[in-house]
Amino acid sequence: MAAHTDTAPGQAGEAAWTQDAILAAVATLVGEVIGEDYLEGIPITMATSFADDIEMESIEFVALAERVRERFGDKVDFIGWLAEMELDEIMGLTVGQLVGMILACLTS
Amino acid sequence: MARILFVVPPLAGHVNPTVAVGAELARRGHVVAWSGPPVVRPLLPPGAELFVAGEAIDDAMVGAVRHRTAGMRGAAALKFLWEDFLVPLARATVADVADAIVSLRPDVVVSDQQTVAGALEARRAGVTWVTSATTPAELVGPFEALPKVGAWVRQQLVDLQVSCGVPVEDAARGDLRFSDELVIAFTTAELVGVPVHAPSPVAFVGPAIGGRPDGPDFPWEQLGPHPRVMVSLGTVNDAAGSRFYAAACEALGALGGSHVLVAPPDDVAASTGMPPANVVVRPRVPQLALLEHLDAVVTHGGNNTVCEALAHGIPLVVAPIRDDQGIIAEEVVRAGAGVRVRFGRIRPAELHAALAAVLEVPTYRDAAKRLAGSFARAGGAVAAADLLEAVAAKAHGAPLAQEG
Repeated sequence: MAAHTDTAPGQAGEAAWTQDAILAAVATLVGEVIGEDYLEGIPITMATSFADDIEMESIEFVALAERVRERFGDKVDFIGWLAEMELDEIMGLTVGQLVGMILACLTS
Repeated sequence: MARILFVVPPLAGHVNPTVAVGAELARRGHVVAWSGPPVVRPLLPPGAELFVAGEAIDDAMVGAVRHRTAGMRGAAALKFLWEDFLVPLARATVADVADAIVSLRPDVVVSDQQTVAGALEARRAGVTWVTSATTPAELVGPFEALPKVGAWVRQQLVDLQVSCGVPVEDAARGDLRFSDELVIAFTTAELVGVPVHAPSPVAFVGPAIGGRPDGPDFPWEQLGPHPRVMVSLGTVNDAAGSRFYAAACEALGALGGSHVLVAPPDDVAASTGMPPANVVVRPRVPQLALLEHLDAVVTHGGNNTVCEALAHGIPLVVAPIRDDQGIIAEEVVRAGAGVRVRFGRIRPAELHAALAAVLEVPTYRDAAKRLAGSFARAGGAVAAADLLEAVAAKAHGAPLAQEG
């Protein structure tokens, strides 16, 4: 289980998620999946590419999907989101796209 | 007597099973030949008939493709596989494959799932064809979760056929990766472990091992005490490969025992300096002979190495890199015969722990032995030869049969 902080937004009655808060949370999850030491020198930004910048392996991507579900809940349909993608979209997938999807799911 | 033509890509893992099946068919008095690039010649038995397809596809060209794919993973690797390897391979070989069919007049063409030129030309010539699936990847619905990716692959096959002069309506029918007649899968349902998703009948014959030319020499006197582990990653030549070699040397050094790292010695030296004293580094090994002496195998998940290890009841540590390797790693894990680890970000401690598990926890070896039993029951090359004989007999009975 990904750790929840006491002040995490999105909990019942708490302030709504913002893009920056989701980005920070996703960056933490990515670090947990691939190992913080491997992220040294790779800033996680909206433009970070999962394939080119992080070289994320499929098993790591599956682990990230699971952590995203644990962190943000079932409203975030990671698998359904991926299922709509063309090959080129998957190749170019960025952290920003994931953050945007999560934000859209949580605010819809 | 039947006449069988195997159409194969320049990939040892895809050629080797056909060699075993071809040897069995030849033993029964059938005429057997191969169609493939000249680089497959050394993989075939001495004197085997090879109709060269794609004369220009030499070691340098195959090496260049391997070099370009080295850093690729996931979706990028899939795109490269089709756009830059399999489709160009088909274009470069179709005319020669067609000539081979005219020359040999085969009763059955056996087309590898990755040499779609064989299926294309057999269909066009109205010759019965059978698919050879040397990896389970296409049998488990790999694109179920990514339907648009699956559609993209199908479109590559349609576009290829149209560009080769196949009428659009014919190109859209069926699937060059799946003969309507029969798909021979060189694995078992026990190993695949999930229901098959295929548009045509699939026969599981297990790995077809043997019938190959002798492997290279090996310094047997350097194999010392157990445990004995072989690390074989196929051809890796990028930074991640170097990291893996370094991690493997450190893990094996700490493990004790006596081990074999299959890799170019220069690459290993560049990655990690002097390997530990208990690790023999060899660029190539006589794998089948070596497996008789081993306790565990670390592999990137090539189907041949995985199946050959399991056939010997040897548990695995699988570090998949790209293509079908993730699917193969998952089936090994599901069957309980091994552990999956990361490739690019492997740590020595992680690899050491995985090796300690498969060496010390008996369930991994038990599962590997159970799979070895499933392979033996499946029949291997003998079962595949039986199936091809039956298809050939049926083809004889219906000389005007169109399409497979």
